[in-house]
Amino acid sequence: MKTKSINDEERRKAFSSTKSQEVIEKQKLNVRYHVEDFDNSDLPRRFLEVFAAILKHSNYKFVLDHFVRLTARCSQCAVACHIYQATGDIKDVPCYRSNLLLDVYRRHFTMGGLLKGKITGEWSITNEKIEEMADSFWNCTACRRCTIECPLGIDHGLITHLGRYILSEIGIAPRALVVSTRAQLEGPHRNTSAIPVPALKDTLEFLESDMLEDKSIRITFPLDVVGAEYVFFPAVSDFLMEAETLMGIAAVFAATGDSWTIGTGYFDGINYGLFYNDRIMERVVRNIDAETRRLNGKKILIGECGHASRVAKQYIPTYCGGENALPVVSILEYTYNAWKEGRLKLDPEVVTERVAYHDPCNLARNRWIVNQPREVLKAFCKNYVEMTPSGDRNICCGGGGGTVSIDEIRPYRTIVGGKLKAEQIRRSGCEVLVAPCANCKKQLRELVEDQNLSCKVVGLHDLIYRAIVFDKEIDRVEMEGKACNR
Amino acid sequence: MQSIIDFARGPLFRLCFTIMLLGLLRVLFIEFWGIYKAYSKACDKQIPWRLVLSRTFEWLIPARKLVKSGDVYSFVSILFHIGLIAAPVFLFAHITLLKSSIGIGWLSLPYKFEFWLTLSTIILSFFLLVLRIARRTIRLLSRPEDYLWLILILFPFVTGFVCANIDISATLYEFLMAVHVISADLIFALIPFTKIVHCVLAPFSQFVDALAWKFPARTDEDIALTLNKKGIPV
Repeated sequence: MKTKSINDEERRKAFSSTKSQEVIEKQKLNVRYHVEDFDNSDLPRRFLEVFAAILKHSNYKFVLDHFVRLTARCSQCAVACHIYQATGDIKDVPCYRSNLLLDVYRRHFTMGGLLKGKITGEWSITNEKIEEMADSFWNCTACRRCTIECPLGIDHGLITHLGRYILSEIGIAPRALVVSTRAQLEGPHRNTSAIPVPALKDTLEFLESDMLEDKSIRITFPLDVVGAEYVFFPAVSDFLMEAETLMGIAAVFAATGDSWTIGTGYFDGINYGLFYNDRIMERVVRNIDAETRRLNGKKILIGECGHASRVAKQYIPTYCGGENALPVVSILEYTYNAWKEGRLKLDPEVVTERVAYHDPCNLARNRWIVNQPREVLKAFCKNYVEMTPSGDRNICCGGGGGTVSIDEIRPYRTIVGGKLKAEQIRRSGCEVLVAPCANCKKQLRELVEDQNLSCKVVGLHDLIYRAIVFDKEIDRVEMEGKACNR
Repeated sequence: MQSIIDFARGPLFRLCFTIMLLGLLRVLFIEFWGIYKAYSKACDKQIPWRLVLSRTFEWLIPARKLVKSGDVYSFVSILFHIGLIAAPVFLFAHITLLKSSIGIGWLSLPYKFEFWLTLSTIILSFFLLVLRIARRTIRLLSRPEDYLWLILILFPFVTGFVCANIDISATLYEFLMAVHVISADLIFALIPFTKIVHCVLAPFSQFVDALAWKFPARTDEDIALTLNKKGIPV
């Protein structure tokens, strides 16, 4: 997986900043993403305080102990890193980035480091180091491809995750994520896109009438059904931007007949806490659990969103009941099972374009959802082509780790972060790229635009909606003379 | 000189080997204690064993990497590690020494195979050293320890190879043998205190990583209280 580094002109564009000099001087923080005003006094001490508190109450300490003992500084991670491959900058080698934080840990939280400190009197953490970390940890997309390549299994994505967490607790976090999370946890509408319930209902009604016209079948989005098998949480932006994905999902449920619902008390699967703060992540996850229990739902169903699926799958059991936690299902698993059981039929003559599949990192890196969507696609897309590398070794879209939500760094994302992905897409010659993740879709569409690619980016259920075949027993609706089957 | 060799093979070897064993046991104890505490604190105790075991196996037997690795450092490093372990462990002379002292031995490699294996390991370690110096990313990341280890490992390999395969004077032989044994003793003693401790820790990396993402419940509350941030808005 090699590529030429970006040239000077591309570098200038990618690293250009929209921030004013006034803001940079006022905040004493020169990073490209916007940050809300924060208390920038005594940062090194506060950084260490936060670090100590997190180490005390979490499981990070034993992991960092393991990593600091092992690190071989061999830079094999660089071979796998799409960011380093694009920039060729030593500071983008995952190992270099991780050592920004591990050096602080070694110096201030290990016996050897504390002794060294007593002798030399030096600190490893300064305002400049904090600024370097603030820049570096948000250049990374936390895709964790480097983790697979590292011969010692060091999880550089975990260290980026922890670094961002500490920084956010001293006030340094991308404003885009903080503002969305504030709307989700403290706003009146309780979702990252601030969609009020009446607007949600209007949108869903509109989609229902669309589907009725399209398929001559009454397909609904059930709201607030008590005791449903599945309570559905998509990325809330889907209600604004991914109509076909939602219609595809509703159509699948119409075909299978399983009970499902959307809760108007809370309907946002997005969890930016995964990207910058564990405390936020916990709070958001609890909201999903609470809504499902309010409706007496049996299972939590997450829509086409990589990070939302991963967070719910991993952290509903952690924060919401352990062994008694509600089961979490990804819509991709649900649809795959329905198709495998013969409950979902797809017409293989509908999708004739050359179709490729992009593995969202949060679904594929731990080999959770890799083959399932592929098998479904191959069943009805005659012209399916596999990109390489794929599966758990896929290349990140370039907007992972929450960076896709930071609009001001779009040039960086599409010139640097997405460079390798763009080359991969180009090589595949695909006309349709299936990316079952809201964040990947946004990033890939911007990549298509900025890198002049000629393919359309869709969700899996967008294609399923096109190809779905309903059984004769489904209640069809007579519409202006169209055939009616009962 | 013979007395130095006897001392290095006898009491010094026993001391250094003991330091290595105790040091590794200490590290393993700390590791397992950390794992135990983390597992106890984790609310979700389901470990993805299939993923952990398959990735650990892929790490232990890096056949895929050997064939598919696009990077020469990776390829060289894997071959180097094979020689680094197999050459001294299956050397007839070492096994004979061990058998005579503690009565335990095992099958040795044929002489010719051992010859080429040792020579390859020496060449590969030179190659790794050259790569570490020549490759910009590795050079800029490297610490003194990373170079010193490669040089240190060469000592017992080169001296052992020369003693076993090249006609040299008795004095030179004794000198090189002393260097061989003392450098090996030094390596044993340093293992637990340096990155070479990965020889016992690396097999647990995948499990540690899986466990690392299993957080304790209610960390929000505990950390918020510690940082006086309880109730503070987003």
